Amino acid sequence: MSALFTGTTILEFGGGAAGPIATRYFADHGATVIRVESRRRPDFLRILRLTPTTPGGLDGSAHFAVLNVNKLSVALDLSRPEGVAVARRLALLADAVAENFAPGAMAKWGLDYASLVQERPDLVMISTCLNGQTGPHRHYPGFGGQGSALAGFNHLTGWPDREPVGPFGTITDSLSPRYAALLLGAALLHRRRTGEGQHIDLSQVEAGIVCLTESILTYTANGEVLERMGNRSRHAAPHGVFRCADAGGRDRWVAVAVHDDEDWQRLVDVLGRPAWAVEPALATTAGRQERAAELEARLEEWTRTQTAADAAVRLQTAGVDAAPVEDFGDLHDDPQLAHRRHFRTVEHDVLGAHPAETHAIRFSAMEPRLDAPAPCLGAHTEYVLRELLGMGAEELERLRAAGVLE
Amino acid sequence: MSDALSGIRILDLTHEPGFLTGKVLGDLGADVVKVEPPDGDPARRRPPFWGGRPDADRSLLWLALNTSKRGITLALDRQRGRELLLALAERADVLVESETPGTLRARGLGWETLHARNPRLILCSLTPFGQTGPRAGWRGSDLTAVAASGNLYSTGDPDRAPVRCSLPVSYYHGGLEAAVGVVFALLARDATGEGQHVDVALQAAMVMPSIGTAAMFRMTGLRGARVGAFMSAGRTVQREIWPCRDGFVSFALRGGPARVPGLFAMVAYMDEHGMASERLKAVDWKTYNHNLLTQAEVDALTREFGAFFATKTMAELYQAACARNLMLAPVNTAREIVASEQLAARHFFVEVENPGRGRLRYPGAFAATSGQTVAIRRPAPRLGEHTVEILAELGLGERDVERLRAEGVA
Repeated sequence: MSALFTGTTILEFGGGAAGPIATRYFADHGATVIRVESRRRPDFLRILRLTPTTPGGLDGSAHFAVLNVNKLSVALDLSRPEGVAVARRLALLADAVAENFAPGAMAKWGLDYASLVQERPDLVMISTCLNGQTGPHRHYPGFGGQGSALAGFNHLTGWPDREPVGPFGTITDSLSPRYAALLLGAALLHRRRTGEGQHIDLSQVEAGIVCLTESILTYTANGEVLERMGNRSRHAAPHGVFRCADAGGRDRWVAVAVHDDEDWQRLVDVLGRPAWAVEPALATTAGRQERAAELEARLEEWTRTQTAADAAVRLQTAGVDAAPVEDFGDLHDDPQLAHRRHFRTVEHDVLGAHPAETHAIRFSAMEPRLDAPAPCLGAHTEYVLRELLGMGAEELERLRAAGVLE
Repeated sequence: MSDALSGIRILDLTHEPGFLTGKVLGDLGADVVKVEPPDGDPARRRPPFWGGRPDADRSLLWLALNTSKRGITLALDRQRGRELLLALAERADVLVESETPGTLRARGLGWETLHARNPRLILCSLTPFGQTGPRAGWRGSDLTAVAASGNLYSTGDPDRAPVRCSLPVSYYHGGLEAAVGVVFALLARDATGEGQHVDVALQAAMVMPSIGTAAMFRMTGLRGARVGAFMSAGRTVQREIWPCRDGFVSFALRGGPARVPGLFAMVAYMDEHGMASERLKAVDWKTYNHNLLTQAEVDALTREFGAFFATKTMAELYQAACARNLMLAPVNTAREIVASEQLAARHFFVEVENPGRGRLRYPGAFAATSGQTVAIRRPAPRLGEHTVEILAELGLGERDVERLRAEGVA
């Protein structure tokens, strides 16, 4: 049986994380996703950790490899009109174009929506950048770290008595691909029904702010600015992360969330009903909030004596919301992620066999597939030009000799 | 302009983790009906309340992520309530829910039943760990889902516990992932004529937010580490969040072609204020490689940039960043976001009229498009606001609804 997007072609310009993660949803369900890349101006992730001794050079980036599984790479010199002409032919043939360059870059090449739509009236195209395609700050050049700061995530992450830290991994780079996949999917559905294409302008900062609407309303309705509060919650106590016995030479922790008074009684039972815990004053959330620091210290005395896994299992068995804090290594031994086949192995030309992840959706009637590794730069240039554009050997040779194909 | 999802009927049974799913699908034009118990979703009882007045229709969490939905109350623990839900499901395209796995089935509303009653129906379930597997039965919430995803371990200060964002980011990631799943299942249904069960897990959805670092472990051996307001780069840790005169800014010392002009421009900006040393001015940013620096070199750069930022406000620095293409951003609070000149120019904020309570300023469309409307369609529903209207679609009259209310079914 063919996959959902078999026969669907998406042309991708740009790089980093926000753009490439979005098109993976389609690639993992059979779409042909073609990256248009440049050797002179390589994808940010191909050079993020590049040193003169990196094996494979631009093809040796593990970071690029894990995010760009299942894609093809065409390398073109877009500073040359012939290179732009090839990219344009590909764009006009694609079912959708996705780009995350700074606003204006695509227009400079005549590859923007306004230009392409003249020849392809039902074109579906998404442009995503930090601040959007319009407005006084559209050319602002930040990366995901800046997006996370602008959208308000950093301010809300960390300890109240310390500087903000921001959630690990530049969160607008991972939220915006989900919006992009949703919008592209909806646009394909819309075109199927109406025959109409569209241009989508996705500001990563705006999309992030929509998630944080509760924080915005708290200010616009009540004039209150929400502040970071460590791991505490306005609605639950204790609610935190507690040190366990070290294991494997590393610090280990367990997260515990007591959502209501029944949860608290379950926790007290697991602790063996010690005298300090059965105090009536602690029977209510309000009472526990008041003495949160004391409860956290008491709970940590208990967690310190055991491994994170043991503590989590003991608490879950009693019906208390708890989980071990897993590091990136632990995830590869996580039984639940293994059950969902979250990581799957692909064979990369330079890096060898390595795991990559797919999205977090499991469908009862279709399975995401990781069929091919991330492409080496320009690995599919001739294949794509020959198979998709029907280019003959002579023209390919001429373009290669002229340096248009990198 | 038209609606991508016009004519798509969605029943939204979710609690807080799934609020965003129905909201974004409603913003795209789907008819989303929020189904709540007669005493309302627990989120309605959660502070903060608009104006500080505890009221089921004034909870800001409820109001935030339930726009673009209608609302009905139905007691699903009652036989008559379940019958009515099944009748609604027969006419629906999608049902979204976030109960513990097995809960719907125990009520006679499981996938097999729903599928038998309406083969075209898509069931989307959003849970902490997923529908099946060794931890499917575990309890979970934002804190524990993020803990089990690898993301928490590397967030925070080295001398303290791992720390989460104070608002539930896993619900945003998972909620959006579920919306993608719904749209993909709708696309698939066009070909097969059949709905399917879509299973989204918060834990799994929180792995990609570490941007591939988890998958890279087998190649890098890096388990992650907390470096506070810093980021690991090469052999060093480099500051990412910097104190300034009235708050914090985000700025990176990382190089690469896209960043080089910004580093040049930053030093020129500092120089205009007499705050760039000869040594800093002598740095050749074109050949600068942040991966090859020693910690002592990083620290020397950090002292100079940090001393300069301490003399400027967030607004001054961001204004300069926009004018000079510096890769620096303010660590915004809601106050700065609401006052943003960029967001005003894009008409991002919208006023939503909440009947009987007044107007409230909201973040508006999550994207601007030329071909499908993305917008808040209606305010978050008051408790039971559309019960009569929606049950009328099943042929029930107002009298019937009154009786259902008296019986505690609606």
